[in-house]
Amino acid sequence: MVKQILEIILVPLIAFIVGLFLLGLARKVIARIHWRYGPPITQPVIDIIRFFSQRSVSHGGMFNMGIILSLAASFAVVLFLPFGVFTPLAGSGGLLVILYIMIIAPIGIAFSSGEGANPNISIGISRKLILSFGYEVPLLLILLSVMTHYGTISIVDIVKAQEAGNWALFSWPLVLPGIAYFLILPAMLGLRPFDVASALQEISSGPQVEYGGRFLALVTIEHGLAIFITIGLFVDLFLGGGGLWHGAGSFLYSGPGAILTPVVFLIKMLVVFLLGLFVHSVFPRFRVEQALRYLWRWPTAFALVGLVIVMIAK
Amino acid sequence: MDRGQMAKWFKDPVKMGHKYSLGVVYFATGCGIIEIPPTITTRWDAERFGVVPAATPRHANLFLITGYVSVKTLRAIIRTYEQMPEPKYLIGFGSCPINGGMYWDSYNTINSLDKYVPVDGWIAGCMPRPEAIFIAVTHLWTMIDKDMADGYKRYKKYYRQYRRNQERVLQHLEWPPLYPIGEGE
Repeated sequence: MVKQILEIILVPLIAFIVGLFLLGLARKVIARIHWRYGPPITQPVIDIIRFFSQRSVSHGGMFNMGIILSLAASFAVVLFLPFGVFTPLAGSGGLLVILYIMIIAPIGIAFSSGEGANPNISIGISRKLILSFGYEVPLLLILLSVMTHYGTISIVDIVKAQEAGNWALFSWPLVLPGIAYFLILPAMLGLRPFDVASALQEISSGPQVEYGGRFLALVTIEHGLAIFITIGLFVDLFLGGGGLWHGAGSFLYSGPGAILTPVVFLIKMLVVFLLGLFVHSVFPRFRVEQALRYLWRWPTAFALVGLVIVMIAK
Repeated sequence: MDRGQMAKWFKDPVKMGHKYSLGVVYFATGCGIIEIPPTITTRWDAERFGVVPAATPRHANLFLITGYVSVKTLRAIIRTYEQMPEPKYLIGFGSCPINGGMYWDSYNTINSLDKYVPVDGWIAGCMPRPEAIFIAVTHLWTMIDKDMADGYKRYKKYYRQYRRNQERVLQHLEWPPLYPIGEGE
């Protein structure tokens, strides 16, 4: 019981720190790819201190509530995600709960920013919803094929099964869904070429245009958490969570080695995020219908074929 | 630059946050904007000092007026300045906002930006090089340290005078006063 309470406090804190670290790392890595020196890695923390100390303008009740709603939903999803051996609430929900709560965070942002009457906000929200139409279809197919292959909806059991066998990405029926998930990751994270919703140059950063002061700080924190959740789900489902390669990681998950599993988890997360960043820093932006065409063609096709293969192999 | 000194961060995090995180609205009124792309991209890289372009005035705390200010753009400058969250700083870039520059006798430019919005500092020259922007930023750090970058406080204190000057040039303003008009001295 004490252990669970400790985990419920500790895991969101780690997710918060890791999210901010990844945001700072993103700016540094992009700068180095552009042959710039780049800001210090703590720049998002400095920004958040500045945002919190600035005077902010609110546009009404929902403007305040929506942002809290989305932040709370993000912290809730973090609790349902197995983080190495830390599984605060992951035993009691499974993938379906994660699917349901993951939707609340963007909807909270949409409620909140919709309160401001700026036309850029409406354009940004509609683009974000169209984009999520694009990636929700392959995402559901991918999750369906994973659940079918392992015969369970519990994400803890899926991680355990990968610990006993092979990583899902390298067990042959799930290769195609894994690739499909990797292809929709930039769209879920809002990285280029899919940053249509928060396009700085076209619609002045879209839904965030009216956020100033502490609202912007909360949005930044929420963005960091969203990165943690999206990549964390990929690591849990396809890269074996906090476990090492099959056979090599038996000392983990038992005794003192267990403390290393979150570290392994974070290293995998870092590798996946860096791969996304390399694409992000050299690509231009899709138009929204190009993004939708891409998302409904390649990832959806991969996921569908993968689902059929999983069904046959079962 | 004292960004790495942790003792100062613990002593006054708010001031340090304002110093080393400057979101800038570049107001592209005139030819001065041509110096901004090299400043924010690979050649000079302003981001290493925490100076990033902001897409909207709500995200910003530094306002850079690059070039001459015509009467028409003055309206937009005032509105943008009033939308920025406090504390906010304003810098005039080039000789045109200072005293009109080469447009000093033009019929549709204003000669001194200082009469209409409070300016925290000037960058003189026609054109100033990108290095001048960095010098201005370091001066702004010193001013924030000594609490001398108080343009937004002056704007509130002398709002009646500023509003009167604005109305003299623009005839009528479509927006209500930012602060109660009777409060000024």
